[in-house]
Amino acid sequence: MNIKSPLRLTAATAVLLALTGCASFSGDAGMGAIDPLVQARTGAPARTLKTEADRRALDELLQARLAQPLSADGAVEIALLNNRTLQASYWELGIAEADLVQAGRLQNPAFGYQHMRGGGDVSIERTLTFNLVSLITAPLASRIEGRQFEQTRQQVAAEAVQVAADTRRAWVEAVAATQAVEYARQVAGAAEASAELGQRMRQAGNWSAYDQAREQAFYAEAMADVARATQAATAAREHLTRLLGLWGTQAQYRLPERLPELPAAPRDIADVEQRAVRERLDVQAANLATQRTASALGLSRATRFVNVLELGAVRESDGGAKARGYEVTLEIPLFDWGGARTARAEAVYMQAVNRLAATATDARSAARESYQAYRSAYDVARHYRDVVIPLRKKLSDETLLRYNGMLLSTFELLADAREQRSAVNAYVGALKDFWLAESSLETALGGRLPAVVPPSQQGATQ
Amino acid sequence: MTDSMKRRSFLQGAALLGAGMVSKAGAATLPEAPVQGSAATAAPLVPPNGRPYNPVVTLNGWSLPWRMKDGVKEFHLVAEPVVRELAPGMHANLWGYNGQSPGPTIEVVEGDRVRIFVTNKLPEHTSVHWHGQILPNGMDGVSGVTQPSIQPGKTFVYEFVAKHAGTFMYHPHADEMAQMAMGMMGFWVTHPKDPRQHAVDRDFVFLLSAYDIEPGSYTPKVNTMLDFNLWTFNSRVFPAIDPMVVRQGERVRIRAGNLTMTNHPLHVHGHTFEVTGTDGGWVRPSARWPEVTTDVAVGQMRAIEFVADNPGDWAFHCHKSHHTMNAMGHDVPTLIGVDHRGVAEKINKLVPGYMVMGEKGGAMGGMRMPLPENTLPMMTGTGQFGEIEMGGMFTLLKVREGLARGDYRDPGHYRHPKGTVAYEWTGEAPPAPSAPGGKAGRADGALDVRRGGASTGHEGH
Repeated sequence: MNIKSPLRLTAATAVLLALTGCASFSGDAGMGAIDPLVQARTGAPARTLKTEADRRALDELLQARLAQPLSADGAVEIALLNNRTLQASYWELGIAEADLVQAGRLQNPAFGYQHMRGGGDVSIERTLTFNLVSLITAPLASRIEGRQFEQTRQQVAAEAVQVAADTRRAWVEAVAATQAVEYARQVAGAAEASAELGQRMRQAGNWSAYDQAREQAFYAEAMADVARATQAATAAREHLTRLLGLWGTQAQYRLPERLPELPAAPRDIADVEQRAVRERLDVQAANLATQRTASALGLSRATRFVNVLELGAVRESDGGAKARGYEVTLEIPLFDWGGARTARAEAVYMQAVNRLAATATDARSAARESYQAYRSAYDVARHYRDVVIPLRKKLSDETLLRYNGMLLSTFELLADAREQRSAVNAYVGALKDFWLAESSLETALGGRLPAVVPPSQQGATQ
Repeated sequence: MTDSMKRRSFLQGAALLGAGMVSKAGAATLPEAPVQGSAATAAPLVPPNGRPYNPVVTLNGWSLPWRMKDGVKEFHLVAEPVVRELAPGMHANLWGYNGQSPGPTIEVVEGDRVRIFVTNKLPEHTSVHWHGQILPNGMDGVSGVTQPSIQPGKTFVYEFVAKHAGTFMYHPHADEMAQMAMGMMGFWVTHPKDPRQHAVDRDFVFLLSAYDIEPGSYTPKVNTMLDFNLWTFNSRVFPAIDPMVVRQGERVRIRAGNLTMTNHPLHVHGHTFEVTGTDGGWVRPSARWPEVTTDVAVGQMRAIEFVADNPGDWAFHCHKSHHTMNAMGHDVPTLIGVDHRGVAEKINKLVPGYMVMGEKGGAMGGMRMPLPENTLPMMTGTGQFGEIEMGGMFTLLKVREGLARGDYRDPGHYRHPKGTVAYEWTGEAPPAPSAPGGKAGRADGALDVRRGGASTGHEGH
């Protein structure tokens, strides 16, 4: 578009620029928008590492956290800042924000200068070209990028919440696996004492090779169990380490020796369904999608007769390279008066409405199921703590009394010691299931639950 | 124990309830059924009426009083659940008669007409067989064969003449496996018409019985056949069996009946004796031979006699060594000679409170460790020189100079005359004798036993 006299347009451009209400950079790559979302759901902040100062602050935090045995909350805090996959996702937000800001900006005007000489004539043409289409489409593009940004925000927040939940679960698994190694070692210790005593029995001539071999076989199997438990503990710990994004000397962090004790009472949550519908990010996303399609429907209805533009988000994938943008189609309303478009928008809207309903229904069901699983896991763990373990203890006490009365032998005493440790191990398993169930419940309800119950002081894990 | 007190008062309540069920008219015709609650040895029952006799002493038991009615001696036995103190600290839920198990000793005189009322307060039917008595077939007490069984709450009457003097017993012949395992039994003595015949100064009687009571429980396992863990004289175990106290020079008779499921070689220290009677009657003097041990087979009775001419505290016991033990584990492996160094510490880490026992032998060296509820140490009792290490079928025959006639009180430990107690030799050890041509034993005294497969291949652990 060549305009001979561009000067008058300058003022118009300024007006238009103001009209587009263009977005500007938030300065924190958009993290300010999701940090509250993530904090409310994980109890820890989400921040992009941008500067050397950020890096130093993280190092200091890691140093402080890793000086102590790492708690579950500490692990979540580290993962949200130090998990590089998550950091990469945080930058996704920066990309989306940049796109949004870009969309809100008009293309730069182009200044043209033409000098022609011919037939003794010299003509000089100066042009200031300005992409008017972009001027018209800028608000629409902004709106699309705005939605894109919003969606990315939701995605990144959901990813952070997922990493937090994964980390919490990995922490529980790693601590429980370490405990399992300890108990496997104790069982092996009892078997070792039996085997050693069996060997002495054989040497003294009191036992046959059969009896000795039986005790040795127990010990050999117990040692295999120790090896298996150790391998499982290594795998569990490495899974956690990956989520924490740690390596080198930092990977030598310590974990607590035991899982936290069972709370004195389980959480009593009356409104699990409402809470899930209110807090879950997937429900919120479905809700936003519905609102967006509603506004699109409204727009279609309002512009159906004068619709000159078709807006569409474009996402192209060409080999490995991905391109994102939008396209604007100019259309002359000669044959199509927009009825079909309105019908489509209506259908899209109804689709979104139903997807929202389905998401909410699923969320309610998941909330109920998780809460039920959580309560059952609590009951099972409490049963072990209050019934099974005390009974095992009682059995051990009575076994020792029978040994004292020469009614039972040392070998039966050691066999009982093995069984008692197996029961303790089963309790640790039940406790692990409880903490995992709590984590699942939090995921199903959309975020961290307040610590309503102080941890029990009684009922040692022995 | 308060538990047993509660149980006892409960049983008394049950007995009262049972008595209340007998009709008034019926009750008036029944002789009194005296009840004994104490497990102490009762004084001999001097006959208040009827023919005179020299009464017996029932070890940790008593004799049943009677009433004379029209020249008939009437006794009343009540079969009922009881709680018996086997020894202080251990009580057993048994079945017995008139508050005790075994039931009271019945003493009659040769030729007495005897009428015995038997009231059944057990939860199941019973009968009474009068072991060794020669009586009308219908009085023999074999339920189903000679009579219908006595149903719970019913009273039956047995009546016969005690024809022969001798040593007898009574026990059920209905569900007898369970009922005898639960302690249903009693002693019976028929004295000779002439009290001077077979007269002795002291006449002790008791029944041999065995129970399988799991430590921590109170009721015998009635299905145990041979592996009992409590071997008793009159349902008492040493050191809770009273001593047999006699005056030096007295003629002593000890009568025992065996209602266990194995034989018991009864052995007396310091004296020789003769078996003078069985449940078949008196042994002719020409048929007697000297013994220090007599085997009492299952279902048999033996009367032995001797003159207590040797003062002291003499062991009297069953010679089966497991029968002079209390509850013990028969499947515990032998640890003698097994080196526990190093292993004991490992075990102690796993089982706090663990102490090594048995690596030098079975003796516990006076260790007193906590035991399960309601059981007794395997070996127990303390004498003037230390641990006696005995339980079960063991007691002491205490022969003393100058005791009063009829004085059965425990005179305490025997005071040995100077120079009559084995003592430690502190002089030079005599050279060890060696067999001609035999090689000397190993210097460390250990047996040189060779076994196959001595290589254990276990050193890697």
